[in-house]
Amino acid sequence: MFALSVARRYLLSNPAQTGLLISGVALGVMAFVFITALIQGLAIRLTDDVTANSAHVSLEPPTRVARVLPSPDADVESTAIVSTFQRRQIRAWSSTVALLRSETSVSAISPQISGSAFLVKGEAVAPVAVTAIDPLGLDAISPISTEIVSGDSGLGADGILIGVRLAENLGLSAGQPVLFRTDRGVDRLLIVRGIFQTGLQSLDERVAYLSIQTARPLFLLPEGVTNIEVKLVDPARAREFAAFMAEATGLRATSWQQKNANLEGALAAQAQTGTLIQIFSLISVLIGIASALSLSANRRRGEVGIMRAFGVSKRFIAAVFVLQGLLIGMVGASLGCVGGFALCSWLATMTKPDGTTALPIAPNEGGYVAVFLLTTLGAVLASVIPARSAARLDPLEAIQQ
Amino acid sequence: MSAVLDARGIGMTFRNGDELTEVLKGVDLKLEPGELAALLGASGSGKSTLLSIVGLLLRPTLGTIIIGGQHVEGLSELERAQFRNQRLGFIFQFHHLLPDFTATENVAFPAAAPAGGITPAMRSRARELLVRVGLSDRMDFPATRLSGGQKQRVAIARALMNKPDLVLADEPTGSLDRVAAEQVLDLMREVNREDKTTFLICTHDEHVAARCTRRVTLKDGRVEGVLASQ
Repeated sequence: MFALSVARRYLLSNPAQTGLLISGVALGVMAFVFITALIQGLAIRLTDDVTANSAHVSLEPPTRVARVLPSPDADVESTAIVSTFQRRQIRAWSSTVALLRSETSVSAISPQISGSAFLVKGEAVAPVAVTAIDPLGLDAISPISTEIVSGDSGLGADGILIGVRLAENLGLSAGQPVLFRTDRGVDRLLIVRGIFQTGLQSLDERVAYLSIQTARPLFLLPEGVTNIEVKLVDPARAREFAAFMAEATGLRATSWQQKNANLEGALAAQAQTGTLIQIFSLISVLIGIASALSLSANRRRGEVGIMRAFGVSKRFIAAVFVLQGLLIGMVGASLGCVGGFALCSWLATMTKPDGTTALPIAPNEGGYVAVFLLTTLGAVLASVIPARSAARLDPLEAIQQ
Repeated sequence: MSAVLDARGIGMTFRNGDELTEVLKGVDLKLEPGELAALLGASGSGKSTLLSIVGLLLRPTLGTIIIGGQHVEGLSELERAQFRNQRLGFIFQFHHLLPDFTATENVAFPAAAPAGGITPAMRSRARELLVRVGLSDRMDFPATRLSGGQKQRVAIARALMNKPDLVLADEPTGSLDRVAAEQVLDLMREVNREDKTTFLICTHDEHVAARCTRRVTLKDGRVEGVLASQ
């Protein structure tokens, strides 16, 4: 294509100017890549922090509500009153677990009895949120066994695991007995087998783990479970999977996104801010291209005029300038993507004194395809105005100047 | 043989706000094949306007133009561009070569642009033309490395690339020193004589006009006189 050859010659005729122009595009693209990788990295880190120690989907019995019952007698209605004393439970939890096991998107399942209790040590009393689980699946949802700082994670028949702050509050250490009193008024002496430290205050101060078999008589649940916690291979699909499970089982299924609506809102706001920055960096790139090509078209008025005089079509002239935009966009975007990836990769290796990464940046999430296509397309669009102006040049006027 | 150019009753009026300026007032001009005609006139006489009209760069207000037997008044913009490309050659006072291209590429450009590239045949013809204009040792030189006279010779070769019916030259020696101007004039005469290519040279230089076979003098937008010479 001859127009492409002419466009290339025009760009190569002034290497310094073309180099500066391409560098400007590349810097804009690098800024885009950096912002995208940073926002994505932050979202990934926040999501990981939330999903690493909690279930992606929680299945619970449906909420019981008082409801109007139809009556064969036309004018008579009756209301079903639901007992609030009766503990809500999933009786047929085995079949639900079997269904979950058949799903390849599920990575871990944890049937649980959750409830409230008090730990009593002498005169000290502390409320705890109890999570009773199968000891073999202790780490299914949250890796508690790796966070034991005292004792061990073996629950046994009379064991309990508590957080480090709770242990401090009650003056407990591993191996000591503690009185466990449920909200059903059942008491039992348990042994603190291990003390964990997750770093999350809510967990370290308020949560206690025990075996599901130990919990059954304490919470008066000989067969059922109160909830089934599920982890997925892809946490992002939790909402979709929760809808599927709710439909399939009739249970109330809640995704981690629904439980953390504030986080989702914050991530969305962050993404919007990032989008604005990305748009402005792209606009500045495109203005740069448009102005440089306009200057070029103006500088080459004489040449364009003589081309038009000897019959070269307007389309050919326009193509020369549009192709310059395309080449600048493609080369600049390519260099910007490579430079952006290198910058993000380098930043990702930087660590704080405590060994954690300094910036939550995800070099692989720089939006490379999007920025390449947007920049290239934008560069072509930015070149349309100078291209049209060059193509519309009156040859006589241009030659006489 | 029919005339290469037959322009009749050419009138041209420019509007500048409310003011109308009549530059050409019913000009007739006919060129036979192989003529080397000079279009003379003082500044403002309308000679450049007439040349632009004949070169299909301007549309006249009045009149008809037949070039190579074809009426050109009704052609669209695209058809006029194609006509200029295929049937006319242009040489301007300032050569306007493409500085990023070699002499050969500049000569081949009028043929290459519509065709989408320089074919071997185009390159070969461009080189033949450069030999013809005495630039056999400058064929692959970038245009920027040629002297003023050499550039104008490349412009002449470029004008001849598509074997035009008529070559229009506007002050072709106006920006050259006397020696270079003589060489360019000799070259145009040689091409005219050997190839029977028709030239219409717009000039205010009597010396240039004296080397042509016919002189057409314009004054105040009208043909004042036509004089055959030699």
